[in-house]
Amino acid sequence: MFNKGNKWLFALFATLFLMTSTSSFAQDGEALFNAKCATCHQPHQDMTGPKLYEVRKKWEDGGAADGSIYQWVKNWQVAAANDPYAKEVSAWSPTAMSFFADLSNEQIDAIFDYVDAQPMPSAGGDGGAVADAGGAQTSQEQETSLGWIWYIIAGIFVVIILSVGGVRRQLQHIDEDGEPQVTYGDEIKQWIFRNRKSVGVGVLVIVLALIVGLFLQLYQIGVVTAYQPSQPIQFPHDIHAGTNGIDCKYCHNSVDKSKSAGVPTVNVCMNCHKQIKGAGEQVEQIAKIYEAAGFNPEGPGAYTGETENLVWNKVHSLPDHVYFNHSQHVVVGGIDCKQCHGDMTKQKELPRVVPVEELNQIEGNVQLTKPTLTMGWCIECHGEKEIANGPVSGKGGGYYEEIHKRLLENDESLYEDYLEDGKVTVKELGGWECAKCHY
Amino acid sequence: MKKEFKAIAKIFVVFSAGLTVMSSCVSDPDSSGLEYMPDMYRSPAVEPYVDYGRIQGEEHMDLKMKQSAMRPPHRTVPYYGTDSAKVAMMLPYHRKASSAANTTHGLYESEGWILSDSVDTEYNKAKADKNPIRITPENYDMIMDEGERIYESKCQHCHGEEGNGKGPMVESGAYAGVPDYKNLQDLGDGQVFYSIYYGKGAMGAHSMILDKEEIWTLVHYVNQFRFDDYGDFELNEEPVSDSLNVNEEAASDSLEVEE
Repeated sequence: MFNKGNKWLFALFATLFLMTSTSSFAQDGEALFNAKCATCHQPHQDMTGPKLYEVRKKWEDGGAADGSIYQWVKNWQVAAANDPYAKEVSAWSPTAMSFFADLSNEQIDAIFDYVDAQPMPSAGGDGGAVADAGGAQTSQEQETSLGWIWYIIAGIFVVIILSVGGVRRQLQHIDEDGEPQVTYGDEIKQWIFRNRKSVGVGVLVIVLALIVGLFLQLYQIGVVTAYQPSQPIQFPHDIHAGTNGIDCKYCHNSVDKSKSAGVPTVNVCMNCHKQIKGAGEQVEQIAKIYEAAGFNPEGPGAYTGETENLVWNKVHSLPDHVYFNHSQHVVVGGIDCKQCHGDMTKQKELPRVVPVEELNQIEGNVQLTKPTLTMGWCIECHGEKEIANGPVSGKGGGYYEEIHKRLLENDESLYEDYLEDGKVTVKELGGWECAKCHY
Repeated sequence: MKKEFKAIAKIFVVFSAGLTVMSSCVSDPDSSGLEYMPDMYRSPAVEPYVDYGRIQGEEHMDLKMKQSAMRPPHRTVPYYGTDSAKVAMMLPYHRKASSAANTTHGLYESEGWILSDSVDTEYNKAKADKNPIRITPENYDMIMDEGERIYESKCQHCHGEEGNGKGPMVESGAYAGVPDYKNLQDLGDGQVFYSIYYGKGAMGAHSMILDKEEIWTLVHYVNQFRFDDYGDFELNEEPVSDSLNVNEEAASDSLEVEE
């Protein structure tokens, strides 16, 4: 009885020991892989280095010398000198592999064991958003083309009615020989005279409606709210700035140095898309980046030098007679991008001019009423926005603190007038001067 | 009679043409709508991101849909004021890119990049380069604040807030293979600079979006992740990194332009 129990106990301990030892072995492989290899190698995808899944089998099948792969990891140049297969492998990419002389054969095996245990990632992914955007685009286009057809049909009908009327009248005149010719004009005049009261009221209503309509149309001139031009690539801001948390200033990187925020050059896209080839609908879109950058995504990926231009359509255009500077607003004023551009982390479709109603719903935004990108909108914000809290003053001894100090020293009563609403606004420092933006 | 019909038809044609013009302006998604004074909207001076196909009423077919944002001519150096230390730091980088950088990182010679003869000689040499921005107990906080500002917008999405290679890009599963800075302790400061400037492995070149001063500031900021006691001036009589006390000779050496 005791003996039997002992045996069981022994077996239990033995299994436990084995289990812990193998799992610690696998952990060892994972830690080593992440520390030494993962920068260039992935289990299932070629990157800077080739994929490592079942690489030992691959080398064996390829006719590599025994133990050559371990030599390769420790010092690939020695391996390439001794083994023809290793020499072949060294031509895979011009990027040279680092030496890992400190790894033992057991550790290298642990790494390969870990890599071989990695499951194949499932295909698919986040192609939905792109598809949605594409769909919306086509339906909008269809609507527009349908509108054209209706105008053309209406035009044809009016022409037919008029010409039939003309033919009928000609035929009537053939019948009534000798009678004085009655023209359209005469007939209309008689009809108006008979119904002069209702015609008068009708004309008044029509004229008033036209005037009101005219003014409503005039108010739309130069207002670009909800303008959303088509783009060469269906770029989803929500995946980039939302899911993947890329800062706006990474791609629009001249925003804190220059007047314009900058549309990223294709090499900025390639910083990530050299590796991210997309799934489903995305593949086609990302292929356009490769075409523009002159990049062949096969294998390790190689630039070919055959670049092309990507022609993006500008969304936020200001007239030439307005001076607007991004760096002044972002760096000095400390304005968040979303104040004017909305929450791009949720923008699934192409970028557009965000209507002011949507901008007002975003937390922390100054509440405005005039349409986005109009002058009223600009000066409304200049009248509301307080200048004390910019990052420049936050650093201590800043520009705006100095301005507050000088205002207080020069004319205290004026300064107190400014502070009546509890803040010094951009307007009070000359933000409504014409020459601030128009010169 | 014929005359009257013609007149009505004429009015109708004008009316319908006007209607189509108006409606086409409103419903075309690629049109931003009517402009009040087009000649005041389009700048005759060249501005970035403006299509110059039509300037002051004249059509220029050769400029239509052409790039208006241009890169400066090769080898031009921006004006950086009169501070000689700053100007010296901002002069073109004296290390050449890897000989393979045109295929691995898209640094085409036709676009002005200078490639060396070998894949990694320049990178290995860069180990000796010193950081021209000296860090002292007085400016430590300022440099780290500036470094953090740049790091947050240009690096953090991959390298992570803690520099452990677990940024939101990696966490979301979109990107893999970002190293933990802790594993990169044997790199010299100059090699960190070289890697940011020309790119390394999967990382692309970042010299197009960061100037040399910003990259050297980032090197300081990244060192803080690489070495636990970086910037601990009291603890370390000997600096943890060679960038902490760069002498004048070494600085001028590293700035010598190699031909």
